Amino acid sequence: MNWIDYLILVGSLLGIAAYAIWSTRGRHDLRSYLKGSGETKWLTIGLSVMATQASAITFLSTPGQGYESGLGFVQNYFGAPVALIIIAAVFLPIYRRLKVYTAYEYLGHRFDPKTRLLGAGLFLVQRGLGAGITIYAPAIVLSTVMGWRLDVTIVCSGLLVVLYTVLGGCDAVSLTQKYQIGVIFAGMLAAFIVLLARLPAGLTFTDSLALAGGFHRVNAVDFSLNPDRRYTIWTGMLGGLFLALSYFGTDQSQVQRYLCGASLRESRLGLMFNAVFKIPMQFFILLLGVLIFVFYQFERPPVYFNRSAWDYQAAHGSGGRLRALEADFNEAHAAERTDLRSWLEARHAGNAAAESAARGAAAAAHERVEAARAETGKVLRAANPRTTANDDDYVFITFILDHLPHGLIGLLVTAFFAAALSSKAGELNALGSTTTVDIYRHIVKREASDAHYVAASKWFTALWGLVAIAFALFANLAENLIQAVNILGSIFYGVVLGLFLVAFFLRRIGGTAVFWGALAAQALVFALYSALPISYLWYNVIGCAACMAFSIILQAVIGPGGKGPAAAAAA
Amino acid sequence: MKEPPDDKETGLPGLRSWGRVYWVVLGIMAAWIVLLTALTRLYS
Repeated sequence: MNWIDYLILVGSLLGIAAYAIWSTRGRHDLRSYLKGSGETKWLTIGLSVMATQASAITFLSTPGQGYESGLGFVQNYFGAPVALIIIAAVFLPIYRRLKVYTAYEYLGHRFDPKTRLLGAGLFLVQRGLGAGITIYAPAIVLSTVMGWRLDVTIVCSGLLVVLYTVLGGCDAVSLTQKYQIGVIFAGMLAAFIVLLARLPAGLTFTDSLALAGGFHRVNAVDFSLNPDRRYTIWTGMLGGLFLALSYFGTDQSQVQRYLCGASLRESRLGLMFNAVFKIPMQFFILLLGVLIFVFYQFERPPVYFNRSAWDYQAAHGSGGRLRALEADFNEAHAAERTDLRSWLEARHAGNAAAESAARGAAAAAHERVEAARAETGKVLRAANPRTTANDDDYVFITFILDHLPHGLIGLLVTAFFAAALSSKAGELNALGSTTTVDIYRHIVKREASDAHYVAASKWFTALWGLVAIAFALFANLAENLIQAVNILGSIFYGVVLGLFLVAFFLRRIGGTAVFWGALAAQALVFALYSALPISYLWYNVIGCAACMAFSIILQAVIGPGGKGPAAAAAA
Repeated sequence: MKEPPDDKETGLPGLRSWGRVYWVVLGIMAAWIVLLTALTRLYS
């Protein structure tokens, strides 16, 4: 990065944050601090919901998933449109009618205080941990590649988001997210255009898809019924539906985004905006990764994308073995490139036999390429177990730094930071609100002025920000970053969703039955997660179904007298 | 549950009820799944 890139990075991030703080100055009552001015339109809500969900991990790691595994991850989002429709039609009108600040407040209305606390507690635990990952994930990749200090990267980006979230509240979060997502889309589109322009002459877009398809990178939809497969149409439609229903419908970091809408109509349209654009956005990001894969078949990539890990070990003990593997990798890649050029010529000449032969040769060479890369990873991890297990997270940033012009590098790095800040801000805002409304105001101090609760909310938001920064500073994550976040969510989300579905649809179930049913369901999910090798998306379904089933059984055992106090009266 | 009058109108041309909006969104989702399935079949 040169001074132009740094100017774009620092100027954009500080400029957006300063504008948000200035625009939202003077918000002193609890309602406007936690729910905004009440004038937010659908586009701002839609972009804010999208920005909260799509963190830096989405933009940094997902192209790497496309590069390594192809388009299959898009199935994860197949259930999202249906979930968003259910939320817009059922959840949202009830939240707005009861004028709640948090989703868990509704559980208090419908059941009892302990169930409200359970919902809020599950959210605080899983989102508190997730917030650490949100800040750690981009910092580890960017600091490694850029040569920045990891702790400085985490602290600087963390403190900036804490500053404007604490000072500006809900409206500052929505406002910054709107501009940040603009920067993100501009950056991703620019990367896509440059990538298309840099593909070899004569290689059309359909050639690229055919080439990627030959290496199983265009398998977007998998109808397999094998439960071991992580992404199939069934896990996406069912597990993805439950994950999205839980995340968008009951996670306060999302609920807070659309509760700030000027009306029910604006909030609904904001959700429908996401229902329409969620699948194409993820497809586009994965396709970017697939095209980077095609690009690197003709342009030699590094044997290991986490170059600093390779450089360090090459200079400290494993150098001989690593260089031998690199030589093997380079030789195999050169052979593969030659075979692919032959394939392209045969394809354009319409010579099916030559095309098939060249493709077979390229596939064999590609196996050698992948074997050398996998062995390099093993050597690096054996030398230093702290080396990130998944090299895919470094694919996109390596492409950006090696092949994009200055200015665009700055724009893309700004986009990653903007994505990190936008999702982080949504999480902190929600963590602060839930701690204030569901814990502090509900248990610790019931009667106090608005100014007192606003001050408390600011302190709690800052505290959660510091917890997230501390967690990020001491975290040592091993698996692919985006999957780590999704897995963490899936362990808790199913049960939380079960609580809400019982509240909305099973009117006869009371607080005591649902409370113990939820605890039993969470214990079951923990036990199954440690014992079964199934896709993590299924835990959303299992947790939710178990919570509902246990609640029904317990209610039958307890009898009608075990109903929660507000059960009959609630929606 | 009754909705306020201004919330019944979607404000979208040609889509006057929320039910229609939801069906259109479902249609777009189905179209994407069909498109991605076709892409998979075509290039695998």
